[in-house]
Amino acid sequence: MSEPTKHIPAEEAAGCAVDPAATDPATLENALLSRRQFLFGASASMVLLTLPAWMRSPRLGNQMYAQIAEFPRQRIAGLGDLTVGESVTFTYPWDQRQSTNELIKLGQRAAGGVGPDEDVVAFNTFCTHQGGPLAGTFKADVGVAGPCPLHWTTFDLTRHGMVVSGHATLGLPQITLETDSDDIFATGVIGLIFGYYDNRIDPAGLGG
Amino acid sequence: MAIEYIPLDSVPLPPPSATVHTTGCDYCIVGCGYKTYTWPVGTEPGTPDAAGNAVGASFPGGVLQPWISPNEHNIVKVDGEDHHVVVLPDFDATAVNIGGNHSIRGGTLALKCYNENSPTADRLMYPQIRVNGELTRVDWDTAIDVMASVSKHVIADYGEAAWAMKTYSYEFFENTFAISKLAFAAIKTPAYSPHDKPGPGSDTAGVSDAGIVTFSASYQDWMEADVLFISGADPFETKTIQFTQWMMPGGAKMIMVLPRRSAGVAYAEANGGLFLQIIPGTDALLHMAISRTILENGWEDKEWIDEYIASTWEIGAGMGRGTRNTPWQWRSTWGKIGAKSYDDYKTWLLENEAASLEFASSETGIPAEKIQQAAEMISGGTGPQPKTSFGFEKGNYWSNNYLNTASFAAMGLLCGAGNRPGHMISRLGGHQRGWIGAASYPRDKSPEKLPGRRKLEIDLDRWVEGGNVRFAWVIGTTWTGAMAASQELAATFRELTTDNPNQITSTDKQDIIDTLIARVDSGGMVIVDSDIYAVEPMGTEFADIVLPAAAWGEHDAARCNGERRLRLYSKFYDAPGESQPDWWAIAQFAQKMGFEGFDWEDDNAVFEEAAKASRGGVLDFGVLVWDAKNRGIRGHDALGELGTTGIQTPVRMEDGELKGTLRLHDSTLELGNPQGPTVQSKWLTHFKSHSSKALLITSPWDIFSDFYERIKPDPDKGEYWITTGRINEIWQSGFDDIRKPYMEERWPDTFVEIHPDDAEKFGIESGDNVRLYNDDVLIQTGGFNRVESAEFSFTWLMENGHIRIGSGEVEAVAIVTEAVFPGLLFTNFLHPSSPANSLVHRVPDPITNRYRFKLGKGMIERLGESPYKDSFDKMSFAPRDVAP
Repeated sequence: MSEPTKHIPAEEAAGCAVDPAATDPATLENALLSRRQFLFGASASMVLLTLPAWMRSPRLGNQMYAQIAEFPRQRIAGLGDLTVGESVTFTYPWDQRQSTNELIKLGQRAAGGVGPDEDVVAFNTFCTHQGGPLAGTFKADVGVAGPCPLHWTTFDLTRHGMVVSGHATLGLPQITLETDSDDIFATGVIGLIFGYYDNRIDPAGLGG
Repeated sequence: MAIEYIPLDSVPLPPPSATVHTTGCDYCIVGCGYKTYTWPVGTEPGTPDAAGNAVGASFPGGVLQPWISPNEHNIVKVDGEDHHVVVLPDFDATAVNIGGNHSIRGGTLALKCYNENSPTADRLMYPQIRVNGELTRVDWDTAIDVMASVSKHVIADYGEAAWAMKTYSYEFFENTFAISKLAFAAIKTPAYSPHDKPGPGSDTAGVSDAGIVTFSASYQDWMEADVLFISGADPFETKTIQFTQWMMPGGAKMIMVLPRRSAGVAYAEANGGLFLQIIPGTDALLHMAISRTILENGWEDKEWIDEYIASTWEIGAGMGRGTRNTPWQWRSTWGKIGAKSYDDYKTWLLENEAASLEFASSETGIPAEKIQQAAEMISGGTGPQPKTSFGFEKGNYWSNNYLNTASFAAMGLLCGAGNRPGHMISRLGGHQRGWIGAASYPRDKSPEKLPGRRKLEIDLDRWVEGGNVRFAWVIGTTWTGAMAASQELAATFRELTTDNPNQITSTDKQDIIDTLIARVDSGGMVIVDSDIYAVEPMGTEFADIVLPAAAWGEHDAARCNGERRLRLYSKFYDAPGESQPDWWAIAQFAQKMGFEGFDWEDDNAVFEEAAKASRGGVLDFGVLVWDAKNRGIRGHDALGELGTTGIQTPVRMEDGELKGTLRLHDSTLELGNPQGPTVQSKWLTHFKSHSSKALLITSPWDIFSDFYERIKPDPDKGEYWITTGRINEIWQSGFDDIRKPYMEERWPDTFVEIHPDDAEKFGIESGDNVRLYNDDVLIQTGGFNRVESAEFSFTWLMENGHIRIGSGEVEAVAIVTEAVFPGLLFTNFLHPSSPANSLVHRVPDPITNRYRFKLGKGMIERLGESPYKDSFDKMSFAPRDVAP
């Protein structure tokens, strides 16, 4: 199989200029790809994109860079073990607070979905509004997580965790997946996990 | 502009040295408290221990603890240098969004800040004049000189009514005070209209006539209520923190009256509430049927009614409130509305066929048993009386303005609501309350008149269409997109501006002035547009002069929220280029025109002058500034000391203490001894009527029914109701949202919701592009000077040739959903490229001159697939009303 792809998205997106302090060559390397290509598993298609003027970084030039963090690959479940609508709980990338995720077979094609029907996805279970617990709220029939019990935010599990309705200022972090025969592996996290300021820093090391 | 959004997985923490300012959200009525943190790029960021960052929180924190999303960060200029900025809900807030609750709009405020490396790069930076069709940079002095020269000519030759302003009514006291001082005190023009209506005046006259100030309640009242009757809005979608912070935790059973099922409705139903899915335009019938059910069963609050509803003597002695003093003359409708007493109202209602359960049920589409159930819930039926509060918004008053609001107030009053904790009648609100008038609107100069002697405020749109406006200054609104029959109105603008032969071809100032004066003299119109972006089509196409405005966060400013809470919105970063607050541009122009009293030094000087004008009003903060002066500090600084808590207006100084006013008409409020310029208006403790008691206003259906029957969609022709509203993720015309990559990913285009049964007829699936069109848009062209009472009627307008028929069409991406009922389409109300108001008739409510924005109609056709149908990258088609 190909090298596992462990991608953390680009820093200069979201209308923000590059923060030089956030780009640490020791922990990051840069890859060139669009998220869509990435989500559909085109790990071999590293495409150089020409960016519109506003996205160009004075330091990095007019190419879109995505960050790649080195999270260890972790087996979650076997494809054959999954039933549509039932979730598998796991922690990733850390064994710490708010690192709990659910893997679910939606029964409908989804962005970043793996398996023969591209319908197996995994997401963090803490609401990116104020951290409300979303565990147990994943609904395969409508492809939605939520509503969050705190303020009723919902997220689209077929659209990489985009907010459907509600208040979160970031989509629900998606756990990137890949398969090796029947095995499903977590390989990375898209989007900052609620509570964290940097996914790459293990909270265990902060004593927090 | 193609925008690719990529979520980030880290965010810099503000270091302890970061500069912290307090502010309020720039968007919806709720006005949540926010803090901004700025620090120079290159400074070592904060650390995750609580002492190591300016937020004072440990990272990672847990549920409900402070957190910074990457979309709460940006890069801005402070004193010309690059700075990080983080805009966070105030986690220490003691009011409104206690604990740091926030909406998706406010939560992404950082992304609205000007950053030349972001989609905000097209902010207006310099004054520009359209030369040879292209906006060309000029200096402020040139732009203002041209404006003044043309204005003097227009006023001298065509009168002040030919000189118009169309402006926001809410973008901070400092600006609206300057606007009103210029328009009403200096120029004295009647050709003025706020952003959301064709002319000045009350939006909710039926509620006002009942003696109720429309923002009387406090958010606390929503929490204290046992039952909430919510009409014409889903507060979850449009005033989020009122819903999530003050309604949900209170546990009230919610009755939601809406044509469409949304998240708030799903919440209400899951928590013992009731959804009354209503056919647009029929709210008055629902209110009357509920009131009649209450009266027939004797469920009304008799003791309260005896004490607080004005008696026959109190009304008949000339002490009723209204535009005339007796019900016969009320609102110049000559015997149509106004009851002489509670008994008179009761008799009117019980004998009124339109108020029958059967008629109401058939017209509203709501089952009779649900109407009865609602009546029982809000009154308590035969059981103990609950605390019921009544909140309403635009779905209610922008479909049948006077009758809906009058019948809504009467329904609430019968349940004893309006003057006690948890028992209130109030608007829920749209934008924040940012208007302080420097002078009154010169209604005596208005070209419109009601039957009898009374003048009516202008309908500025028809005044433009009649060719009466030669110069217009537009500030912070789209004008055409925001008004009814938008495309027809835009066509008039085009004819009077860009299609006029007199176009600027030279950069010479005198040439420009001569050309524009020639335009004016040929019957054309000159437009100045002040805004932060060049909005379509006003800024991009029609305006001859475009002025750059400094906005939220770029200058110090103040305004109130939906519970009259006044806060300072601090400047925390540089305004881009040569942009200036609108008050400054007005001051330059006014001085060039030779008017006195416009030589303000700074934002604070306008604020302090506005304080005097606010005295005695609902937003009175006069004594706050008086106290500041006594303490030797600036008014803005005194307000800034109050942080995100601010103070609720009217502000009072009693017994040596500055006091806010929690609610109006508050029968539980004990006033102290007033000091300084404190005004203790009687409506602080009583209703706002001559007798200080509330009034029941009748709402005869036949005032509206001829128009309504005419505009009902014809299913045989393939017509549908097309109603509009807001959704959580988009504020107003989306001027910021289309430049926030995070929001643009969610909504790269506008949408229309269609029921599966209707979608099937056209082969429409979610993600398909569709066209909505209406070839039967009614537009009133005459009958503005009414003499006989019959001239109030739509039938009379039709018979006398005062209605013409126009058209409109927009495109949208379809979402197939059972949230709407068959026969109803729902779309966003103000998408910049698809102005849905184009499908709406421009025949205002004859009593109040308010448009019926929610009563659009039209046909639909499938155009093909949108790029979002199968891309999985942008736009979600998942249902918005998912319950647990």
